[in-house]
Amino acid sequence: MVDRLKTEYEGVVEFRIINVESDPEGGRLASGFGIQYVPSFVFLGSDGNQKDLLVGEVSEEQLRASLDALQ
Amino acid sequence: MKRPHLIGLAIGVVVLVVAVIALSAGAPAPGLIGNGDLTRLGSEGARIVDVRTAAEFAGAHIEGAENIPLRDLPQAAEGWDRAEPIVLYCAVGDRSSSAAELLQSMGFERVYDLSGGIAQWEGALAGGAQTAAAEPPQVATSGTPVMYEFYTDW
Repeated sequence: MVDRLKTEYEGVVEFRIINVESDPEGGRLASGFGIQYVPSFVFLGSDGNQKDLLVGEVSEEQLRASLDALQ
Repeated sequence: MKRPHLIGLAIGVVVLVVAVIALSAGAPAPGLIGNGDLTRLGSEGARIVDVRTAAEFAGAHIEGAENIPLRDLPQAAEGWDRAEPIVLYCAVGDRSSSAAELLQSMGFERVYDLSGGIAQWEGALAGGAQTAAAEPPQVATSGTPVMYEFYTDW
């Protein structure tokens, strides 16, 4: 689902997909965002400020709503 | 002469039954448990194991827990006492379920699995999530919005 959305939103929203277990720097970034559970989705505006956070298994509709709100 | 013996025997049986009832009421049956059971087991000295990643653990964890990611558990548990009560938890219960099956297959007798994981935990938390969340990291963007997905293979 995320791969499909990544293709669909190419050029509009940049997708950064991070395995917190195999990527120590990504894990530190997750901690910096206060991520306690995976999967978690953090949405940043073009200014780099956090706009939204979704935690746990989420639906495509939820992801689309948060992605669309960034534009 | 026989009556005192019988009375003593009866008292002994009653004491034994009461002790068994008291012990069984104090310790939940191994398997899925709730928050109250975790608190009770923790206060009784059970080993509380967070099987999430180190990054998740650093973000927040249940007070008194030790972090042993699922993939490291087989080696870490090798030297543990098989009769020791062990409480497992993860984010929502998937990884801890796998961990419980693993420990049972290794011969552990008292394995408890927190139902729903830390996501539904209402007790005290430790870790740096609140401090970190107060100052979110500065992330460079290329001028377009960004979506991060943080995940694990487990």
